[in-house]
Amino acid sequence: MCRVLGYLGEPLSLTQVLFDSDSSLVSQTYNPRMMSTFLNLAGFGMAAWEPHSIEPEDPLTYRSTTLPAFDRNLRSLARKLAPTCLVAHVRGVTYDEDVLVGETNLHPFRFAGTRVVLAHNGHLREFGRMRYDLLEHIGPELARRIEGTTDSEWIYALVLSRLHDPYGMPEADELADAVASTLRILRDIRARHGIDTSSPVNLCVTTGRDLVATRFSFDYGWYPDEDALLETDLPYVSLWFTIAGDTARSLLIASEPLTVDTTGWLEVPEYSMVTARTVADGVHVQTLDLDV
Amino acid sequence: MSDTAAFLASVPLLAGIADADLVDLAAVLRPRGLTAGEVIWREGEPADAMHIVVEGSVAVSLSLPGDTETQVATVGPGEVLGEIPLLDGGRHSGTARAAEPTRVLLLKRSDFAALVTRRHPTAFALKRRLADVACARLRGQLTKLAASLGDGVPVEPREHPRAELEPSGPPDSRYVRRLADFRAVEPLALWGFLTAGRYVRCPAGRTLIAEDEPANACFVTMHGAVERVIVRGGRRIRVGLAGPGRAFGHESLIDGAPSPVTETTRERALLLVVPRTAFEQLYHGETAESHLFLDVILRDLMASLRQALRPQAHLASRRAWAADPPAPT
Repeated sequence: MCRVLGYLGEPLSLTQVLFDSDSSLVSQTYNPRMMSTFLNLAGFGMAAWEPHSIEPEDPLTYRSTTLPAFDRNLRSLARKLAPTCLVAHVRGVTYDEDVLVGETNLHPFRFAGTRVVLAHNGHLREFGRMRYDLLEHIGPELARRIEGTTDSEWIYALVLSRLHDPYGMPEADELADAVASTLRILRDIRARHGIDTSSPVNLCVTTGRDLVATRFSFDYGWYPDEDALLETDLPYVSLWFTIAGDTARSLLIASEPLTVDTTGWLEVPEYSMVTARTVADGVHVQTLDLDV
Repeated sequence: MSDTAAFLASVPLLAGIADADLVDLAAVLRPRGLTAGEVIWREGEPADAMHIVVEGSVAVSLSLPGDTETQVATVGPGEVLGEIPLLDGGRHSGTARAAEPTRVLLLKRSDFAALVTRRHPTAFALKRRLADVACARLRGQLTKLAASLGDGVPVEPREHPRAELEPSGPPDSRYVRRLADFRAVEPLALWGFLTAGRYVRCPAGRTLIAEDEPANACFVTMHGAVERVIVRGGRRIRVGLAGPGRAFGHESLIDGAPSPVTETTRERALLLVVPRTAFEQLYHGETAESHLFLDVILRDLMASLRQALRPQAHLASRRAWAADPPAPT
């Protein structure tokens, strides 16, 4: 469930990646090619860093539960933007009356005054049993800002709380450490509660200057006996990337390739983390094993 | 025997298939001529036929991020290409281009499916031969990947001690039937397959099969995940992950050579262990469960081959990465 897109590099046509490519992020709301059961109809969100805007270090954020394919405001906005960094997300949820569809549950998350944004593709099974144990690991001021009901927003607050300064501009290494530390906390709390079923945590975290993404799952391959999400989780939750130019001028990373022709896309290995740093001549990218 | 059938008798892939069956096969093959440089298919295109090269040669290349490509194979007379999607119906994993004026014979997927549906002996024999070819290709790819880690001998990961397997009951049958790979399978064939071995549990981080070691059983993951890795010194490349419904460890049982990779549990796992004798009965049989077993083995060989090509693309694309290359994972 959900589809996520992250980008870092030279200015990118937002219309191209959101609407025009033949497997664009918006088309993945109603026609995801790598999901068999669920659609991603519970809303769209993005944070985009535009170098020529006022205060370019702050992203433009947009969230709406309107189906993005029919969102004229989003199309109009996309035509005018060419960001150097982007996190966009379409939300998919189980067809269940307990699920809340609303703006506060849309990714990417960004608390006012912070530089870090986060989007999540995955879910923590039995999150309700874990939720309040997480409080001891989240700064009180950050915990008060959680508005929605998703596990993802709590993961965001956890990542911020692992940073030296939650309101600062961490570099890729510090972001990567904070994400790994967050996964270790989640692992320990899951163990404390005896939660041992598959829980994918594909994250895309960025400051607009550096970006970190994970392809990771706790207890992959173990499912509750009756589970609506089984068909979605059975293949390891996907994540792909592509880079442009011989010297890596940009990195594009997405839950599934944005083109039907997957030539030029590579699958991010399971249990790994991709880090991307803006450098003088492009983007410096690394893939690391994620053993937490 | 026609000229085509006589040529087929010289094709290594078809060795061991009876003359009468080769005549049947020749009747469904379609000839095609290619000019030098002609693209037969591009990477990512849906595949619909296996090609047997009669004359000339075909170069196969992989695209890399950054609009570049690397040649990974040249296929000459008597050799085949496109056999992977013939079986698993996927897309082409590389671009195939005639390196010179070339003649090929095509086996269309639909024609192969008709042979399979009729349970024609050629279908069984061809599947087994394709498994042999895929196994040999997989070993070739894995050797290239191992070479990319530099000189050295296989190292058994010290942090992953040998597995102690604890006997277990089978998984919930309703769960098994929900696995995509088993959903459309006849219940009796599935039952025969699932009772071909014994079930065991294994904790995470244990070595089930070490590289270069003979294997006496293959495994099917029912729960959890098993990593397939090549380790040299302090460096390792993961070449696959066998999650629920996926088989592993079968290469040694197919070709008798030692294991090309080390298999370790990444997650705790519930596994079906199929010992060598049961493997051979199923692999060489012509029953419904043999068909299912061959399909499972072939599907996983093809998946392994596709996965083994991807790290190679990662490695080949290193020059496209700024500054330090990515650490193999």
